[in-house]
Amino acid sequence: MASLWRKLTHHDGNGWWNLPHTASNEPNPPYEGPIGGAWLGNIWRIFTHGGVSHAGPGFYWLIGLFLAIVTLVEVWLFGVEGLGSWYIPLLLILSLLKFVGVVAFFMHLRFDHRLFTYLFGASMVVGIFIFTLLLLLLEFGNQPPN
Amino acid sequence: MWAFLGSDVMFFGAFISTYLVYRGKSLVGPYPSEILNIPITSVSTFVLLMSSLAMVLGLHYVKEGEKNKGTLWILVVVILGLVFMGFQFVEFREFAHLGLTPRTNIFGTTFFILTGIHGAHVTIGVIWMAFLAYSSHNGALRADNALDLEIAGLYWHFVDIVWIVIFTVIYLISANDAPPPGMESITH
Repeated sequence: MASLWRKLTHHDGNGWWNLPHTASNEPNPPYEGPIGGAWLGNIWRIFTHGGVSHAGPGFYWLIGLFLAIVTLVEVWLFGVEGLGSWYIPLLLILSLLKFVGVVAFFMHLRFDHRLFTYLFGASMVVGIFIFTLLLLLLEFGNQPPN
Repeated sequence: MWAFLGSDVMFFGAFISTYLVYRGKSLVGPYPSEILNIPITSVSTFVLLMSSLAMVLGLHYVKEGEKNKGTLWILVVVILGLVFMGFQFVEFREFAHLGLTPRTNIFGTTFFILTGIHGAHVTIGVIWMAFLAYSSHNGALRADNALDLEIAGLYWHFVDIVWIVIFTVIYLISANDAPPPGMESITH
């Protein structure tokens, strides 16, 4: 069991939470942990792109497990009665969690050059803005005059 | 690849918006609540998520120079992609059997176009991954040119995140869309 744990979470003797730091703007540096040395002290750096880079297989397995659990929670919510108006916002939040999990860690956006984040983020913002306008226009734009 | 994915966001956004615009406007059945099978689609969603995990592991091992492990995980991506396509084929056939085709109603049109285009993306991804698995097996794909696999991986993960949105919007949210009052008995 201990051996399996080490295989899942360690690389070259280091756990993925305690691997060397590398500047985030270096493309694809190898063997880097996603969080860095001190867990809590580095949380801010994760969200500000000041953290460290690539993870190992153990970290990817944990992200996969997280995605599977979130999907299970979504399916469970589908069967829960009495959620009312909370149902759709809850699903959207869970869906967003999965989306961010895949984009940030599997697609390496969290570790790559910021330009890629801006490119993808900008297309998301523009897309959501245009299509929200479209939906609002079609919902309220054809109201007959009073 | 990121620029292409940005344009693909707009592409899928248009079809998802179209689905939302016409949601609940079908005049004849079958309606979503009568036909969507959440448990089955949850399994296929899980399969696609796990294929993303296999993809990232394949890339990791190819970068490490571990040829056999890299090839194996890329093959797992191909297999899981084929399983997902199989689920979609069975679902489409079942829907057609129950009377829902792209021509039946507005739900059928928007549903089949959106999921069909996503399925086409998965098919392209599976063919791409199969070529890369072969390249890895015969040594053409190595650590020094793993960027080829990384680019394909970005495409594959993008297909996965599009499905995350489709699964939430079409299946989980729309699955409760019942027929309009008085229309329950009207089916195709």
